[in-house]
This record gives sequence, C-alpha cells and structure tokens, in this order.
Amino acid sequence: MVFKGSNSRVIIPIVDMTPMIDIVFLLIIFFMVAAQFAQQAHVNLDLPNEVGEQKEGKTKNTLVINILDNGSIVVDNSQGAISIEDIDDIVGEAVNIEGVLWKNITIRADENAQTGVLNEVLVILSKHGLSATNIATESP
Amino acid sequence: MVCRQQILQRNLPDMLFTNMQKRRLLNKTALNLSSMIDVTFLLLIYFIATTVFTPSEDMLSPALKVEEGVTSQEQNFEPQIVTVTLYEAKPAYLLGEQVIHDRKQLAAIISRLPHAPGIIIRVENNVPIGFAIAAVQESRNAGFERVTYVPASD
Repeated sequence: MVFKGSNSRVIIPIVDMTPMIDIVFLLIIFFMVAAQFAQQAHVNLDLPNEVGEQKEGKTKNTLVINILDNGSIVVDNSQGAISIEDIDDIVGEAVNIEGVLWKNITIRADENAQTGVLNEVLVILSKHGLSATNIATESP
Repeated sequence: MVCRQQILQRNLPDMLFTNMQKRRLLNKTALNLSSMIDVTFLLLIYFIATTVFTPSEDMLSPALKVEEGVTSQEQNFEPQIVTVTLYEAKPAYLLGEQVIHDRKQLAAIISRLPHAPGIIIRVENNVPIGFAIAAVQESRNAGFERVTYVPASD
C-alpha cells in the first residue's frame, strides 16, 4: 500500500489481474466450443478395445458408419438411425466420388452389438467393389 | 468500523468537481470486478468438469470378401479359416476340429500357423462384434500380412 500525505490514502493493487482474466475467458470459450463440436460430430459407442494397426498418417474420412449396440445404424448424428437400404444408397454415392477408396470409409461398431448388422454392412461394401474395410477400435 | 476508502467513496460524488487533486481519485475504483471474476471462475470450473475427452481411436483394416470368393485358387495355398460362431451358446473360435473360447489360446494357436497363405476370419451373425474383432487383432499381432474378413452367409 502506498501512503501519500496524511489526508489521503491511495490504494494500488499489488497484482494486476487483467491478463489472467483474458486467459480465463479464452479457456472458457475454448471449452464451450470444444464441447459443442464434440457433441455434434461424435456418436458415443463402446468400440472394441484393441490396439489396432498403429497406422501413421490417417487418410481423410469421407464416410463414417456407426453401428450402435442395439443394432441401429447411424451415419449423420442429427438424422438418427437409418435402414440398410439407405446405407446401400449412401455407400453407392460415396464410392462414386472420384478418389474415394476403402481407406476413406470407416465403420465404428459397438463391441456389444451383434455381428449380423456388421456383416450386412460389409456385404454392401463388398457389393460396391470395396476390397477391404476400416474398423475403428479404441486404444486400451 | 468505516475505513477511509469507504468514506472517500461515499463522499466522492460531492468531491468530483471541487479541485484537481481530488479529481484524480476518480480513476482508482471506478468499477468493482470481483463479482465478474467469481462468475467467470464458476463457468470455467463448470466447463472443465463437464468436458469429456474421447479416447484416441485406431483402425483395423482386414481385407473383405463375401463367402463365395473364399476358396479362390489364385495360389496353391488355401488360407486357414477361423470361424467365429456360437458353440453351445457361447461365442467360440473354430479352427479345424478345435473349439477355442479363450482369446489367448487362439493367439497361441494361430501364431504357429504358416503366415504365407494368410488367414480368413469367417464371422457368423450371432456373435458379439468385440469377439470377432479380437480374432482380427490377434491375427495382426501374430504377424499375418493377409487377414481377410468374410461375413458368413447363413
């Protein structure tokens, strides 16, 4: 505290809090935005707990097919579950885009779902000429 | 007890235009930000506590074939086939005559198989996906270059 004369007292703050408030606001905005994007893009699943193939340089995901534990198939989180026939059309459209290979299509399947639905999806992929498939796993 | 600062603030409006010396006091505590800082910290703690970080994901990339194409004769070798199915109501791996329920046992057995012909994981419809994918992972771990996933046609 700085005392100036006997009649008036000047109080000067010891620590200037301005930069800290800036950082705190930045953090808040970051967490708000990150939470929003994560909720929109991600379907919550229990993926199989496997190491995977540890590939470097992941290729661009043109199409992500999610298979939930109750057997329903979700491609766009905002649209909800779709049927096998819709998957057939969606895969057909994706494959027709130039440069799209099996590497650009990923299947995220819940580990507790039955293989029946997965097998149907894979038969559709094979029907559209895809020779391999990407199955997502969660690093243990 | 009333401190001098409170007296100053109370009398400040009257002192505003009295003389130059007292006008400098205007700049000292014009806006009290402590409440805003409290709310800011509360918001920050809320978002930190509710943010869920998703675990990192990796991929398994087996080759894909439908059932009719399994026994292709492009080479003289016939790939080994591990069938993933229900055996006595429990998920099991069938390799020839052997019935394997345990993943580690499967790993031990397939590691002894020749790698050159590759391996086929034939998966039936009534098994948990995690169980089937484990077979693909164990094949990769054993060093098989050619791992093929075949959906069984019932």
